[in-house]
Amino acid sequence: MKRVLALVEDATASLALLVMVLLPLAEIVFRRTFGRGIPASQPIVQHLTLWVGFLGAAIAARDGKLLALATGSFIPKGVWRRAADILASAFGACAAIVLASGGWQMAMAEREAGTNIGAGIQSWMAQMVLPIAFAAIALRVVWRVGSISGHLDSSSASVPGDLRSARRSAERWLDRALASVGLLAGVLFLRVPSILEAHSLWPAFAIVVAAAIVGTPLFAILGGTAALLFMHDGTTPATILIETYSLSVSPTLPAIPLFTLAGFLLAEGRASERLLRVFRAFFGWIPGGTAVVCAVLCSFFTVFTGGSGVTILALGGVLFPALLKDGYRERFSLGLLTASGSLGLLLPPSLPLILYAVVAQIPIEDIFIGGILPGILLTAMVSAWGVREGTVSRAGRHPFRAPEALASAWAAKWELAMPALVLVAMFSGLATAVEASALTALYALVVQAFIHRDLKLRDLLRAFGECVTVIGGVLIILGVAVGLTNYLVGAQVPAKLLEWASTHITSRLMFLLVLNLFLLAVGWLMEIYAAIVVVVPLIVPLGAAFGINPVHLGIIFIANLELGFLTPLVGLNIFLASYRFKRPVLEVCAAALPMMAILGIGVLVITYIPWLTTGLLGLLGHG
Amino acid sequence: QAPPSAIKLATVVPQGSIWDKNLKQMGDEWKDATGGRITVTVYSGGSQGDESTALRKMRLDALQAAAFTVVGLGQIDWAFNVFDIPFFFDSYDELNYVTDELTPVLRKRIEPKGFMLLNWGHGGWTQIFTKKPVQTVDDLRHIKLWTSAGNDKQVQWFKANGFQPRPMAMTDILTGLTTGMLEGLPTTPLAASLFQWDKQTPYMLELGLAPVVGAGVITTKAWNAIPAADKPKLLAAANGVEQRLRVEVPKLDANAVEQMTKRGLTVTKATGPEWRTQLDDLAKTMRGESVPPDIFDLALKARTEYRKQHPAAPPPK
Ligand code: NA
Ligand code: NA
Repeated sequence: MKRVLALVEDATASLALLVMVLLPLAEIVFRRTFGRGIPASQPIVQHLTLWVGFLGAAIAARDGKLLALATGSFIPKGVWRRAADILASAFGACAAIVLASGGWQMAMAEREAGTNIGAGIQSWMAQMVLPIAFAAIALRVVWRVGSISGHLDSSSASVPGDLRSARRSAERWLDRALASVGLLAGVLFLRVPSILEAHSLWPAFAIVVAAAIVGTPLFAILGGTAALLFMHDGTTPATILIETYSLSVSPTLPAIPLFTLAGFLLAEGRASERLLRVFRAFFGWIPGGTAVVCAVLCSFFTVFTGGSGVTILALGGVLFPALLKDGYRERFSLGLLTASGSLGLLLPPSLPLILYAVVAQIPIEDIFIGGILPGILLTAMVSAWGVREGTVSRAGRHPFRAPEALASAWAAKWELAMPALVLVAMFSGLATAVEASALTALYALVVQAFIHRDLKLRDLLRAFGECVTVIGGVLIILGVAVGLTNYLVGAQVPAKLLEWASTHITSRLMFLLVLNLFLLAVGWLMEIYAAIVVVVPLIVPLGAAFGINPVHLGIIFIANLELGFLTPLVGLNIFLASYRFKRPVLEVCAAALPMMAILGIGVLVITYIPWLTTGLLGLLGHG
Repeated sequence: QAPPSAIKLATVVPQGSIWDKNLKQMGDEWKDATGGRITVTVYSGGSQGDESTALRKMRLDALQAAAFTVVGLGQIDWAFNVFDIPFFFDSYDELNYVTDELTPVLRKRIEPKGFMLLNWGHGGWTQIFTKKPVQTVDDLRHIKLWTSAGNDKQVQWFKANGFQPRPMAMTDILTGLTTGMLEGLPTTPLAASLFQWDKQTPYMLELGLAPVVGAGVITTKAWNAIPAADKPKLLAAANGVEQRLRVEVPKLDANAVEQMTKRGLTVTKATGPEWRTQLDDLAKTMRGESVPPDIFDLALKARTEYRKQHPAAPPPK
């Protein structure tokens, strides 16, 4: 029964994702051949994003893959660990049930209004995925007490969470009972909201902070905070879900799951080996050639996987041994791969760039063009560090041989053509960003499954399934984060911030410096997607007031967050690298320090030389 | 519980625009008129989300008021789509006459749905901005025309009548025009000038596609919580906004055309009688399709009355 349910869940989400790929492409074909498109295809694709995302989130909860802060893993085993796990589950369940109720309220109000999304589909039915997913998550978080969260990309192996499977079942049932107190608390807050209105919020915030530290899933931390704030003001938590819905169905957002799928299909096939071979044939001869190859290859992958760490997990296994074999020092190799996992975030069509454009309401194409030179700069700086290392440690080099170069390039021709495909599709006026992303996903599917025949049906199903989980893990976080943003907007925080800044900050240069420091802290404390959704609306008016080009502001923003991935202890890359290469977190931190310094310099260069971002834009007439 | 007198008003009009200033002025007047018992916070620039989002929040009392365009109003009641019928109105005077006739009926329709109409707000008059000059209706059918994303009914209507609508987010307009995904868009001169779309579309067909009609609405829940004695003062302030916009907005539109002409815009006029005949036929296809039949007939009746009283109506706007 449980397995059947799981199968149905996976199949529905994967099928929805497949339809997302095919529908925009069918629309192009129909438009060109019959002169008219498919009714409501665009709103349907937008709503499929919502469905894929929230079914994916429910699946992530089922499999213990909801993203949480890494700090939870430092709590020693034993009674403290057990208490921490119960707190994490209870808090997660409380937040999820409140959000489920908000989603239900929204859907029922929509039902009464009788709106539809087109082609006769009622809006409320599409919205029902929200209350259903959040309710399922609430129950699963209680059920899985002790193993509710993991890495976003714990795809390849089992997560440490399953360590406790040996525990006696009586103990586990007690833990579940204790965790379900969170569910009851949630129901109580919904029934008697005056409890929250009457009291100071500080004790509640203390609980939120504690819950975050012990490893409560991030969606619950952000969504729980938003719910507390709204309910304290006597406003329904449905406000959060209205924002979640609105973000999830925004017209350009489908590009994110579709590009993610393309990345996953590449990672599942043997694309990484083919690309490693070709990059090695071309760059292997320079001193530090293999290191350069690693930086370039990681950038290439991260562009499609959004720096969520898929790069480290997918490529680490190939690249780490290759570096060691060529005589690079272990510490250097570890640092390089940890940093490379976020290289490429500035290059098109990277997912954070898309999200930034959606949130800041600037054309996607502009931020894609703006990111090209800064992205190349960061990759080049890391490569240069690799060249230095290669020279110092006299690591092995691969002589350039033309026949091998040609043969490897021919073997990898389909993969190498992908970035060109994206750019041509988007900039020729042939396709919108969403259509281009669908085209890329279909292309990756055809190349990996039919041309190279690397993917059997079973691999395809796994790739779709894992992709859905990652999309869900991300979308649920940014979906509730946008609710928190809405609270801040309602409290007029952006206006107050602007007022403060215009009295205390006198020059553009000073503004940029403060911005760098602020974003560094944000990148350290927050998950990248949540950071974009929460912080961008606060700083966009500031940037405008100080005359910063909005595309430049976006590039500064993401470059800073790229650094945040590497910050000691909470940086996602650190945690993933530690897991992937089986090295202690502190060792990985130390290994990544030189990389942090290099990227830090790169970020400063990008910030203070706006031309890097705006030059190409001006040249292409997008200025 | 938030005091019933703290009113949050959402709107997508740009911060600092004439509409934003007028709404804030109305808020101040409401506060003064009630000795501070009612406060109004205006969230402009779409900071509370697009109109559908703001409307959802109003239904759950997370917002109490809004200044909507026909996009949001049409979602409260499809009767408001009457203002969006292409080429239905010839002039502001005609529009105002028909609006006055429709107002009591529209008020009555939305009240049971939980909304109260505060005032009307002019947003300008939509013209067609294109890359290539457009002369005939058929020329227009060959243009990839922007329409706002999220209104599938409108898209289907355009398609069914042989046009090439390209639904896109407003933020993608400039890119769409640059890459050639779009070749034209209906918008007001003021908006075209503000967002500098005219750089990409050097031709403006002065045809007057439709007026941009907006309205202030408040939830009946919030309105009923206001003491009866205060209401006339509040309505007077709301009416002040309506009167000021009636005068100011047409002037701003005209100014914008002047500005854009100076930087290279060519204004063309529709030629030939087929525009009027074809467009009247087009308008009729919306009856019952996107506008309730009774409202359509009422508007038509009012328009006929107006045209009878003013036989020398000004040329199409
Ligand atoms: Na686009
Ligand atoms: Na971080």
